[in-house]
Amino acid sequence: MTVSTSERLTRAVGSTSRPRGRRLQASGLPWILPALVLGVGLIYYCIGYTVYISGLNWDGASPDPLSVGFKNYLNISHDPVFWKAVWHTAIFFVVTFVVQTALGVIFAVIMHSRIKLAMLYKVIIFVPVVLAPAIMAPVFRQIFAANGQFNSVLSHLGLGFLAQPWIGQESTSLPVIMAITIWQWTGLTFVLYYAAMSQIDQTYIEAARIDGAGNLRVLWSIIWPNLRGTTVSLGILSAIGALKTFDVPWLVTIAGPNNSTQFLGTYIYQMTIQLAHVGYGAALSIILLVVALVMAIILQVVGREKADR
Amino acid sequence: MFEVRRWWAKGLLQLIATLLVLPYLFPLIAMVQGSLAGDGWANYRDVLQVPGFFRFFLNSALIAAGVIVLVYVVTMLAAYGFAKLHIRFREVYFWMLLACLTLPEVVLLTPLFTTTQAVGLFNTYWAVILPLAALQVPFAVLLTRNFIHGLPDEMFEAARVDGANSFRGFIHLVIPLTRPIAAAVLIFTLIGAWNDYLMPLVFLQSQDMQTITLVPQFFVGEFSNDQTKILASAVLTAIPEIVAYLCLQGLFERGLSAGAIK
Repeated sequence: MTVSTSERLTRAVGSTSRPRGRRLQASGLPWILPALVLGVGLIYYCIGYTVYISGLNWDGASPDPLSVGFKNYLNISHDPVFWKAVWHTAIFFVVTFVVQTALGVIFAVIMHSRIKLAMLYKVIIFVPVVLAPAIMAPVFRQIFAANGQFNSVLSHLGLGFLAQPWIGQESTSLPVIMAITIWQWTGLTFVLYYAAMSQIDQTYIEAARIDGAGNLRVLWSIIWPNLRGTTVSLGILSAIGALKTFDVPWLVTIAGPNNSTQFLGTYIYQMTIQLAHVGYGAALSIILLVVALVMAIILQVVGREKADR
Repeated sequence: MFEVRRWWAKGLLQLIATLLVLPYLFPLIAMVQGSLAGDGWANYRDVLQVPGFFRFFLNSALIAAGVIVLVYVVTMLAAYGFAKLHIRFREVYFWMLLACLTLPEVVLLTPLFTTTQAVGLFNTYWAVILPLAALQVPFAVLLTRNFIHGLPDEMFEAARVDGANSFRGFIHLVIPLTRPIAAAVLIFTLIGAWNDYLMPLVFLQSQDMQTITLVPQFFVGEFSNDQTKILASAVLTAIPEIVAYLCLQGLFERGLSAGAIK
């Protein structure tokens, strides 16, 4: 009896004191307001504006553009270049993500294994992350040109028969763009996996070794499953990164030859800035944005499920 | 992670590591080698003698500094608000901010173009600083909020009991305690702002306001496509980035991995 009264008393006190405590505390809204104005304000304003433009047939300059409703979206659905760009983005994502993950894990494992010159190797792999793609673009144009260094390396290795104009032909231009992207971002993948591996409990690995597990078995059965969180984050990052791709295909191959390295970003830029089909470009932008959002939500949900299991 | 005891296994691992690293070194070597072709070191002399070459660096530094200051101030305030203060509909605001993470910057081009021209910001540093900061803020807030969330509530309660209002709590607790994550935000923002190409390309039309990412394009015009000099300019613009990375190596790696480790 006494217990229940005192319980009721504490519950009553607790329930009245908490809201009062909150009321004393001023609202935090002013604190987040600058970020909301800058981030949400500017970005959502631009998105709203883009939605409006996407219903126009506008060259970006004429004072009274023609409203065309959903015609831009309808035209996009029949646009072979658009579908090409979507297809390129999908392959680009899968290939760069898989290769970067594999290389990142391999590098991280090797650098954790007490090899010589590890410091130097780390620097070499990471330097591309900090270099601007815009600055490296002329270098890559030179390397992969018909008379460039890549072909001369091939011929030095006795593989001269493989030499070809890598960025000048449709069949090899997209793989070159992927290779450049992988070159650029493996450093980040590696650093993230390296950090995640330092957090794995060494006793698991020792226990597995005592049970007779070899190096590859340890990698596959203990290290890799422990990296799942990092892999999911990197998956989301590269999916969004693939949708945002612009600098490399634009500066190395100008989205060509014959649209073979066309991405959504480069196509929007071409349409809006170069051809002044501003309405069409805006409709493409909105589609890109919706795809990016849906993708992020799906990956987030799938990633969470996997991580919970 | 791997245990290699035998000498041949050690050698094999070293060999694999070296072979895998070489392709990463190759473009850097090709860049330097290409820049020395033709006239040799004279390429560098010619590039350095182009009037206004250092202006590109100054512009990039100005823009990066502006973006960093803006992002830091806005992020710290918001992260504290989201993590520790009572806000009605807090989650709604937070998700609105997070949705901006997926935004490709090319989507902003047309609206920003017409708007900056209408309000007279076109061809000013602000036309680049504001959108770049807006694009960096969501991720910066996400990182910092998670970090402040991990700080014990009792500390803030104690400060309040001692008579500190939220502002004093912010200055004396949040600012000093968030230094590790602030370093991460700084690095992210620096790389993002310094390396950005699209915004300066579209919004900075005057030659004397352009950034280092527009240097190759400038030299294509200047030297009528003389590849060796374009590569020399690429080397010169890459050097500050590599030096900055080497000096702040630990900060870079810790900063970049801060987001992924819980």
